[in-house]
Amino acid sequence: MVMRSFVSILCGGLLGCLLFATATTASAAPPLRVGMELSYPPFEMTDPQGRPTGVSVKLAEALGRQLDREVVIENIAFDGLIPALKTGKIDCIISSMTATPERSRSIAFSDPYLKTGLALLVGKESPVKSAADLDAPGRTIAVKKGTTGHQYASTSLKKARLLVLDKESAAVMEVAQGKADAFIYDSLSVYQNQKRHAEATRAVLRPFREETWAVGLRPGDTQLREQINDFLKQFRSEGGFEKLGDEFLPEEKAAFKAQDIPFYF
Amino acid sequence: MLLDIHNLVQRFGTTTVLDGLALQTGDVRALVLVGPSGGGKSTLLRILAGLDVPVAGSVAFDGEQLPRDEPALREYRRTVGTVFQAYNLFPHLTALENLLMPLIHVHGLSQSEARARVREPLERFGLADHAHKRPAELSGGQKQRIAILRALVVQPKRLFLDEPTSALDPEMTAEVLEMIGELKELGTQFVLVTHEMGFARRAADEVAFVGDGRVLAHGPPAEIIDRSDVPRVRSFFARILS
Amino acid sequence: MPRWLAHTIVVILFAALIALAFSRVDYAWNWAGVWEYRQKFLQGFGVTVALSLASLVASTLIGIVAAVLLGSKNVMLEAVGRVYVELIRGTPLLVQLLLGFYVVASAVGLENRYVVGVLVLALFSGAYMAEIFRGGLAAIPQTQRDSARAIGLTPWQSLRLVILPQAVRLVLPAVAGQFVSLIKDSSLLSVIAVSEFTLAAQEVNSFTYSTLESYLPLAAGYLLLTLPLSALSRLLERRYRYEM
Repeated sequence: MVMRSFVSILCGGLLGCLLFATATTASAAPPLRVGMELSYPPFEMTDPQGRPTGVSVKLAEALGRQLDREVVIENIAFDGLIPALKTGKIDCIISSMTATPERSRSIAFSDPYLKTGLALLVGKESPVKSAADLDAPGRTIAVKKGTTGHQYASTSLKKARLLVLDKESAAVMEVAQGKADAFIYDSLSVYQNQKRHAEATRAVLRPFREETWAVGLRPGDTQLREQINDFLKQFRSEGGFEKLGDEFLPEEKAAFKAQDIPFYF
Repeated sequence: MLLDIHNLVQRFGTTTVLDGLALQTGDVRALVLVGPSGGGKSTLLRILAGLDVPVAGSVAFDGEQLPRDEPALREYRRTVGTVFQAYNLFPHLTALENLLMPLIHVHGLSQSEARARVREPLERFGLADHAHKRPAELSGGQKQRIAILRALVVQPKRLFLDEPTSALDPEMTAEVLEMIGELKELGTQFVLVTHEMGFARRAADEVAFVGDGRVLAHGPPAEIIDRSDVPRVRSFFARILS
Repeated sequence: MPRWLAHTIVVILFAALIALAFSRVDYAWNWAGVWEYRQKFLQGFGVTVALSLASLVASTLIGIVAAVLLGSKNVMLEAVGRVYVELIRGTPLLVQLLLGFYVVASAVGLENRYVVGVLVLALFSGAYMAEIFRGGLAAIPQTQRDSARAIGLTPWQSLRLVILPQAVRLVLPAVAGQFVSLIKDSSLLSVIAVSEFTLAAQEVNSFTYSTLESYLPLAAGYLLLTLPLSALSRLLERRYRYEM
């Protein structure tokens, strides 16, 4: 008799606590889950302690401050970002992702926040001088799976042999070892990789195709889209992008200016 | 058969199992080796059967020396038959196929010749109905009897049997011993290692007691088993026959 | 209840469970998009079949050689076998592929990634095969070898007529399992850009953003290869079964 009433009070108490907890958390805004692949310095990377950092991370944090929501960075492989967004594992993609027409059929994009383009990392021994040179039967092109370089190569450079790699580092190694003529990737990474493999590679930096990066969103998420677009406008006017450029890309900024290649923001 | 062994030495690694063993038998049909475990009887039998080469010493059957090189030993093995305690038969073949194998692959008989040869022994020893079974379907006694037949059908000069009944229950032991007894009647020569003293007493022409790597006593069965004057031998039999 | 009926019922139940899980997820199916790439899938499937077959044969041979080395009385030979097996079994296939292709193969000038892929896969699987064969040989009682010698069989005859028939039956289940593993492991060759089945599905996924529609056919394709293999193995085991 006493036992039964004790148990029911206990259950009632637990239930009450649960309801209270859900009620209170429901009133605060849920965290903003941002998906990115942390292997793309200096935009998405980890610091020596293993914490996410980089241009995109700082951008996401600034966004979170504006929306008054906690930001959670989810490290997901690049070609898994869109599926993760579609199945609701993340709320938006800030991963240096190009807004292409094909991708726009699946997801929505914010206004572009960065201009870039596809460039070539070419092997020292290779005769290739431009993207057009690659469209020939004897040529081998390395691309990273799921990127716009991959898309471009498979639709516009059909005569060449295509090597689809998982990781940027593998694709660079293919070029450095002479197994591929060129790696098609964005101009910034091409610049950085060429510096690291100076004896084995050279760079054709001027973009042969321009692209813009934007934040990826679910098509129905119009409210978040407006919020992000507002944020981007404000961030730019406050000089936020300038500061990011100086913090993460000072050398590249100078180098690109010297070669008269348009820089990013 | 006349068996003449001089100064036989056998070692495995650093252990000496046969320590200058010597034995000269009369012209016997059945020689039985007895003795304690680890005393060297199985080691001796393996040498006599041509399976192992001793470190030193000589063995001669009816004046013919056992060779020491493998190809010649293999030829010798083809003229004798050996039966082990267990796992003689090849389990992936039927009893009949087990019997045919040495005839066809070693002695060059054709299928029909081989089948003709094994028919009579199978019937004589009551195993014809079991010939199409695999060893797993046979009793322990049947397996050993088929193993003996397999050794026999190649018409060997003599048989070597290493404790053929030690893994069997009393009923099957009797079955197998009966067959060996019958074989002796038919004139087969053999060297048998066994713990079955009753059978040794009945069937052996001579018994040799092997212990500590040498022959400690040798002679007619009754003398060795019942009346030995070697203390070691006497106490052995006193213990196991009590 | 007959076994085939029980199997079918379980499969249907399982499929129903999966269908239920899918219906809960708010997923917009896009089979049409993936259907456009059927040629790519088929090509990838063909490459996987070819790679798997080549590796199967090669790994069996390597396994036999390694098993012989492991059982050798010569100290150096046994050491070669043992070091090989322990190294391979102790490191991930992924690491072996990357090191093998980008470091070792480049150093010796072997450029063809398909050949290197098959070699690495064969060496990987061969190490496991070696242990399987060794275990099988060790499980045969010594008396079998003695009996074979006692009859007067030559070493070669004894191997052919007595040892191998028994060893094959003993190792058949494990070898079949290893073959199935190898077919699945071949998917890892995608990391050195070998255009096999899994990479094809991944590429289609990155073009169409239809993950499930890309990967379900992938799973089905592998089952198409592995299920017959398992069934064949069980059939052979039943037919040639004997007890010791």
